[in-house]
Amino acid sequence: MISDRNALLSVRNLGKNYPGFRLGELSFDLAEGTITGFIGRNGAGKTTTINSILSFIRPDSGEVLYRGIPFRQKEHEIREKIGFVSAGMTYYTRKKLKTITEVTRSFYPGWKQDIYKKTMDMFCLSEDKTPAELSNGMKIKYALTLALSRGAELFILDEPTSGLDPVSREELVEAFLRLKDEGKTILFSTHITSDLEKCADRILFIRAGKLKADEDLDGFRRSFRIIEASDPIPPELAAVSRGSCRTKDGYTVLVSHADAAPFSGRDAALEEIMVHLEKEEEA
Amino acid sequence: MKLLKKEFRLCMHPTGFFMPLFSILVLVPGYPYGVCCFYTTLAIFFICLTARENHDAAYTLTLPVSRNDAAFARILLCVCLEAAQLVIMALFIPVKNALGAMPNPAGLDAGPALIGEGFLIYTIFNIIFFPCYFRDINKPGKAFLFSSTAVFLWLVLEIIATYTVPFVRDVLDAPDPAKAGPQVLFVLVSMALFALGTWYSTVRSGKAFSKVDLSL
Repeated sequence: MISDRNALLSVRNLGKNYPGFRLGELSFDLAEGTITGFIGRNGAGKTTTINSILSFIRPDSGEVLYRGIPFRQKEHEIREKIGFVSAGMTYYTRKKLKTITEVTRSFYPGWKQDIYKKTMDMFCLSEDKTPAELSNGMKIKYALTLALSRGAELFILDEPTSGLDPVSREELVEAFLRLKDEGKTILFSTHITSDLEKCADRILFIRAGKLKADEDLDGFRRSFRIIEASDPIPPELAAVSRGSCRTKDGYTVLVSHADAAPFSGRDAALEEIMVHLEKEEEA
Repeated sequence: MKLLKKEFRLCMHPTGFFMPLFSILVLVPGYPYGVCCFYTTLAIFFICLTARENHDAAYTLTLPVSRNDAAFARILLCVCLEAAQLVIMALFIPVKNALGAMPNPAGLDAGPALIGEGFLIYTIFNIIFFPCYFRDINKPGKAFLFSSTAVFLWLVLEIIATYTVPFVRDVLDAPDPAKAGPQVLFVLVSMALFALGTWYSTVRSGKAFSKVDLSL
């Protein structure tokens, strides 16, 4: 965990109960100027966590601190500093971007019109279009533009690259890296882990509402190895397995780096770690 | 004011502009004029419905505003439409009477009391619709079903009252200029009830909206 002094956003013991699902006492920090990947399978609790951070839903326990200040205490001021972008969010599809921008701008005294113009040009966005006329990738770029123009420091992205083609995803990842270069902080929730491999500094892995990993990306990847195994999996390998997946030639088995020495293996990709750990849970 | 402007520019449904114009129906003889108010409540329902389809809450809650203010702005937009409808109705009532007043068999005559009746209809609508709507903004139909049922029951009672309740039959539903005084008093009392009822509705709506979990 990052020390409170360096944390832009701190989540402390965040909990939310639903019938059949419990988000359990999550705690983590987002360091300023970093990209944090938030991974987990569908229904693991990523969106519930984000909605709780943004107060879209009311958590049953815990608190969210922004630069050490409780979110609830200065909700308006803190909201100004947070840009939220979700792939599933398409508002006012028949209104021109110009209208949406004008309305949005009126709420932010510190609106930076020069940044808005520059970013609209950079993303090749036209104010005369409506969201309905934009591709999914362009909608996300427009949402990013609005957030940037009002001086957001923290970008919370909920599955922003879902449903996009590889080229559009690449463009967005580049945009996220540019934001990071400018000192912005990003929480990037996704299950397309290959996007995170290109840009994330840190990984939060959530499973069934519980945070299972909070590490820097390289450290997280280095802590596991993938071993190719025949069918059946040898007992000595099965004993240290952290999850296995069937392949056409046998199995791939995830083992902790410390247990991997006796076996011939390779580095694990983020997606392999996530999938195998999920399998471990199911087993 | 910023939120009200946002409501007008992003959330206003086209029916919100022309439904209040249905007040012109006071020119039609033998029409239940209270129904003119229903058309405006229908426009309010469409506004809430399209707000849902346009993910308005997801946008609004990322703005630096409280949920209380967001609820208040939506109600204020609707009150503007209700007021516009009653003003247009008030403008057409003298026109109707100039064209030749005749007793209305389907409820109140086109007179000052009709404006008071409009305020009472909107009071009932606002008290039921908004708190129910803000408890679950994804189900405006449920809120509209409850509130419009109550409005229609009230309209039926009003029509019956014009035949059976002496005060309604002889004072409120009378074209006699001598009854204008009590009718204007009725309008003022109705207006006060409307203000009180809408304030109560706004407080309850704000509380309901502040507590609710929004699945955006």
